[in-house]
Amino acid sequence: MELVEKRLTQRAKNGDREAFAELIEIYKDKIFQLAYRIVGNRQDAEDIAQETFLRVYANLHTYDESYKFSTWIYRIATNLCIDRGRKKRSDFSLDEETEAGQGMDWYSRLSSSERTPEDKVVTQELQETVQDALSHLQPKYRSIMILRYIEDLSLQEISDIVKLPVTTIKTRIHRGREALRSKLRLM
Amino acid sequence: MECRDMIILIHEYLDGDTDELTNQHLQTHMKTCVSCRQHMHELQRAIAFVQSASHIHVSPDFTARVLAQLPVETKKNLFSGWLRRHPFLTAAAVFLCLMTGSLCANWFDRDNILQVSSAHMDKLKIDRERNVVVVPAGTSIDGDLVVRNGDVEVQGQVKGNVVAIEGKVFVASTAQVAGNTESIEAIVDWIWYEVKNIGNDLLPVLP
Repeated sequence: MELVEKRLTQRAKNGDREAFAELIEIYKDKIFQLAYRIVGNRQDAEDIAQETFLRVYANLHTYDESYKFSTWIYRIATNLCIDRGRKKRSDFSLDEETEAGQGMDWYSRLSSSERTPEDKVVTQELQETVQDALSHLQPKYRSIMILRYIEDLSLQEISDIVKLPVTTIKTRIHRGREALRSKLRLM
Repeated sequence: MECRDMIILIHEYLDGDTDELTNQHLQTHMKTCVSCRQHMHELQRAIAFVQSASHIHVSPDFTARVLAQLPVETKKNLFSGWLRRHPFLTAAAVFLCLMTGSLCANWFDRDNILQVSSAHMDKLKIDRERNVVVVPAGTSIDGDLVVRNGDVEVQGQVKGNVVAIEGKVFVASTAQVAGNTESIEAIVDWIWYEVKNIGNDLLPVLP
């Protein structure tokens, strides 16, 4: 897998858009998932995922190949989520044009952003409960718990993504687990 | 060991950081301690719970939407992208530009004095009035003969190239020239000649 990704990033670097499209296909759900679990709603999450890929594309020539591509893209996405969280929600309106400014406003996005029927039936309730539990975590614990247990990354990779030592990651995971435990035991 | 320390061990166990001995220690403790057993169970449940909720997909037209928003590659981008991707060719192009510049400068800078370069100057006859360098019949010259601002008349033998820059080469019927004879009268010829020289110096094995 890593070899395939290496080749794809190499081709994308050389301006091959098909290769870039394949990278999007590989990562779109992972990045969207991460963003959704951190920010808590689909529209913001899709927006962040989109912005993530646009940034990846714009900065491909600066990508350091000694890192895994996944580490790099997760870092960009995590940072965007954190930035989004800092912004005030009040300046966000449905009439606002999307960032690319292509004449689309948020109304036109709504239709495509609905859950698929399959999602709806099977996991909606569960997701809401989990989302609720996650949203009660402090942001610094939340993103790391998500990277660990939803994205299923190793402690080392999380440490590379957020640029904090592994010991710090462990402490946050321990506290995050405790917080989730006390939240969920009441259910 | 107290239960508080056990909780720390439980977390290390969940991170996969404990060894066999610690695991056994932990298990022995939990057989007797209900609260620690309960704690461990709740933590595992919390993890499983978070893990179970990971089925969510982005909308199907996501990729197309991102691709549609990519910046159009402008000519400038294409060019700088090309330069970045072909550092060797870029260096070669810069080199060629500089070379051409210096060659042209050489061409325009020279004066009109007759210049001869050969290994055997003593055997040559120089006719200053007609501005002609003559290789007399019966003489033999090793190596190249290059004349600037004048003609060359070869009656004897030259074991090399004969080149006249801004002049003509006359070869008599008695003459023997081992290499090429060449008259260079225009700047294009001049550049071509210099480039060929560089080529010949760099690739001595090729004919």
